[in-house]
Amino acid sequence: MEENRFDDVLRGLPRTFNDPPTPPLDEMWAVIEDKHFNPPASAPQWSRSRSLLPWLAAAATLVIGIGIGRNLSVDAPTPQAISQPVSPTTATSASQSEVVDAYRDETTQYLGQTAALLISLPAAGAPDLSDARFAGTASDLLVTTRLLMDSPAAQDPKLRGLLEDLELVLVQIARLRVERNKSDLDLIHQTVEQGDVMSRLNTAVVTNQSGE
Amino acid sequence: MAGRALYDTHAPRVYSLAYRLSGDAEKAREATQDTFIRAFSRLSQFRGDAAFSTWLHRIVVSVVSNSRRTDVRFGREVALDEAQSIAVMAPESDPDLKECIARSVERLSDAYRTTLIMHDIEGYTHAEIAEILGVPEGTSKSRLSAARAQMRQDLAAFRE
Repeated sequence: MEENRFDDVLRGLPRTFNDPPTPPLDEMWAVIEDKHFNPPASAPQWSRSRSLLPWLAAAATLVIGIGIGRNLSVDAPTPQAISQPVSPTTATSASQSEVVDAYRDETTQYLGQTAALLISLPAAGAPDLSDARFAGTASDLLVTTRLLMDSPAAQDPKLRGLLEDLELVLVQIARLRVERNKSDLDLIHQTVEQGDVMSRLNTAVVTNQSGE
Repeated sequence: MAGRALYDTHAPRVYSLAYRLSGDAEKAREATQDTFIRAFSRLSQFRGDAAFSTWLHRIVVSVVSNSRRTDVRFGREVALDEAQSIAVMAPESDPDLKECIARSVERLSDAYRTTLIMHDIEGYTHAEIAEILGVPEGTSKSRLSAARAQMRQDLAAFRE
């Protein structure tokens, strides 16, 4: 084959070699949506991959959290709102419902951020366990956790229990910065699993979002 | 939903690459689905140190490559002997140039084949290929050159 002819062959490759058909975008999306965003509630995969379902649940939580975050109004409370205790004077000047709304929004945002952190944790046994990023974020969220525990947001017993468990998990993650090893990471995953933390996080986000 | 918007933006090109690499609509479809499911699951691990599209294409190349390796392992791929027959094929025994080209591409090693498909067929630049495959740009260029040389040799016997 002559050189010029070979150049023609190369130029014609996009038409002659595995020319793709129109992609079935909707069909593929239906599968992706089903597998990723709507994981089966009772998939018996624990023995094969015990940490898979919590992370899928976390992904759903993350998506919900992102959606909520985007829908927060511009006058949503700033993070400083938590760090400032509500004095009786303030409480009397603002309506009770506004205060409740502020804490609820802040709590929802916090839960979304915590879910994002938990889903981003490497799987147990992963070669690159973590880096300082996780520990730093966990430390920041730990401060918020403790502020929320001392706030009216923790009056709900279920939420308070969740905050206490998250405090434990976040403490463990924050400690990875100084004493990181595989068993620590395994312990974190065990804590998350045994405490059903991801499922409760999901529930808490939905409950907060609906204002119940 | 943000996920769907992300998908709509990138899926056509991801599918196209998957189809070019696999040559099979069903495999391309599965690879595309698998790519996005993996990407969404690991979204929080995406550090933004590369373009999101680069990250997606890195995943799809890996998915298709693994699938091809599995196919070879289980004998579902065209036998190497059959592919190699192109090199000694008498021109008159198979006058179909398109078929010869396809066999010649299939005969390339995985690295050469992927580079050739990405550059000469799908139009990626060497910089993009280098980033997606995690190799230096020079490696992408040399692989393409070697792939073309091998194809030229394969098709040398072909006469119109």
